[in-house]
Amino acid sequence: MAYTTSPAAHDTHDHHDHKPTGIKRWLFATNHKDIGTMYLVFACIMFFGGGIMALVIRLELFQPGLQFVDPGFYNSMTTMHALLMIFGAVMPAWTGFANWMVPMQVGAPDMALPRLNNLSFWILPFAFTLLLLTLFVPGGAPAGGWTLYPPLSLQAGDSFPLTIFAIHLMGASSILGAINVIVTIMNMRAPGVGLLNMPLFCWTWLITAYLLIAVMPVLAGAVTMLLTDHFFGTSFFSAAGGGDPVMFQHIFWFFGHPEVYILILPAFGIVSEIIPTFSRKPLFGYESMVYATASIAFLSFIVWAHHMFTVGMPLAGQLFFMLSTMLIAIPTGVKVFNWCATMWKGSISFETPMLFALSFLFLFTLGGFSGLMLAIVPADFQYHDTYFVVAHFHYVLVPGAIFAIMAGVYYWIPKWTGRMYDERLGKWHFWLSTIGVNVLFFPQHFLGLAGMPRRIPDYSTQFTDWNMVSSVGAFMFGFSQLLFVYVIVKCVTSGEKAAERPWGKAAHGLEWELPTPAPYHSWETPPSLQVITRGAEHSGTFGHS
Amino acid sequence: MLPESSTVDDASRKRRIRRNAIVLGMVALAFYVAFIAMAVTGVRG
Repeated sequence: MAYTTSPAAHDTHDHHDHKPTGIKRWLFATNHKDIGTMYLVFACIMFFGGGIMALVIRLELFQPGLQFVDPGFYNSMTTMHALLMIFGAVMPAWTGFANWMVPMQVGAPDMALPRLNNLSFWILPFAFTLLLLTLFVPGGAPAGGWTLYPPLSLQAGDSFPLTIFAIHLMGASSILGAINVIVTIMNMRAPGVGLLNMPLFCWTWLITAYLLIAVMPVLAGAVTMLLTDHFFGTSFFSAAGGGDPVMFQHIFWFFGHPEVYILILPAFGIVSEIIPTFSRKPLFGYESMVYATASIAFLSFIVWAHHMFTVGMPLAGQLFFMLSTMLIAIPTGVKVFNWCATMWKGSISFETPMLFALSFLFLFTLGGFSGLMLAIVPADFQYHDTYFVVAHFHYVLVPGAIFAIMAGVYYWIPKWTGRMYDERLGKWHFWLSTIGVNVLFFPQHFLGLAGMPRRIPDYSTQFTDWNMVSSVGAFMFGFSQLLFVYVIVKCVTSGEKAAERPWGKAAHGLEWELPTPAPYHSWETPPSLQVITRGAEHSGTFGHS
Repeated sequence: MLPESSTVDDASRKRRIRRNAIVLGMVALAFYVAFIAMAVTGVRG
């Protein structure tokens, strides 16, 4: 497995690996790797926080009737679970990956704006402290769903201003992070690293960053208007004052649908790195992957109203949003077929990152198919606000985004730490997660098709069996994540020393040209053209300029 | 934008980075203001 790295890289980095120590290293961090680590640890903490809330939900739903929590608290759990998982777990995890990988993959010494990077991370703990404090204020945590639809969300107690402020802070953090990624990729690429020979992960993040800059302010605008409606007597969304609550839904989903792609595009990037490596083949159709990603991002701006067919809209509107939604299947299909074509006749091996990537491929596609069902207007009238929708978006986001995050961690952790994780335990984690996630979410399709509504703590007895199965799956999936933490801690503290190229020659990209573990300061001298070309040859981007 | 060449001086790159960041920040701010303005002027969904 050993692979000779660029001598220039060694010379450059070995003698300058000093780093600050103590708490100051983290408080005043400007190093992209330190900030990336903080983002990933923060995301992990939020993942477990949101996961505990999910288990409260599934515990209550294990059988009909009210067993453990009152309905108000149950609604708070569904709302807080979503806010924590979306804004606290998945988005910061992607920013953590971007921080670690983008500079290494484009041959830059760090992110373009390191102090801004520090600020965008440290905003997050404050934002989520505010959000979590709402659990202890009079009236309890927000309970109107993560979509914050008025008039329901306006009826919240003291949690309301805290929630709005927290969302503003999360948005600011995301925008600052996105600016940093764009500016880094556009200005800090090493000589010879063209846009069309960047790794797919950089491309997907670049497009994600543009989405973030376009839509996070829209969410901020929407919640600002909620705030003024609540405290300053405006009537943006109050029908009594001449406003329109449906307008909030339009504005929210103009943010909300691109947000779905913000959560999933970086996953496409990671899977596009992993599948070629473990198939020992270059990525099939690199350019078409880039264009497909850009097409998905563009289409995400013109499909928002498919989330609200049931509010009533003109037939032309229904048709437009139905057909534009279905169009997304085309670039997504391009990606899925390209990944399959990459594996075709490849010398495939099934290490943990590849297993998670394959699981992503199957299960994300399954989630995509139920999305197509939901895009069909008359069918959506039946499925809307049922557990079918819950099953759909959890298939997209858990074995989609979360599995890709896990795949990415297993794939790059030898490069990050210089140590190898326990492959046997990694596979146990994979199988327990994959079985658990299907036991958890697949029955929810049946429940939804049978008419069980979402966001309710109690249900008709006819739904009991599948709810029990789903809850068993939830606890299986939830507890199997403790194994993930154990594998990572074991790797970091006592893992075997990783080889210079832990995945052999097939692992492409400039990050693999650095020594293992990656030095604290990398690419202070830009990589040579020879090194860049070698990375590009493996990645399937060779020949592009 | 073209990738950096090794001869480009640091100061001009720093200026470009700052300019790019400010432009992107302004774009974000414009989206924020535009959607509130749209709601104020009564555009309905």
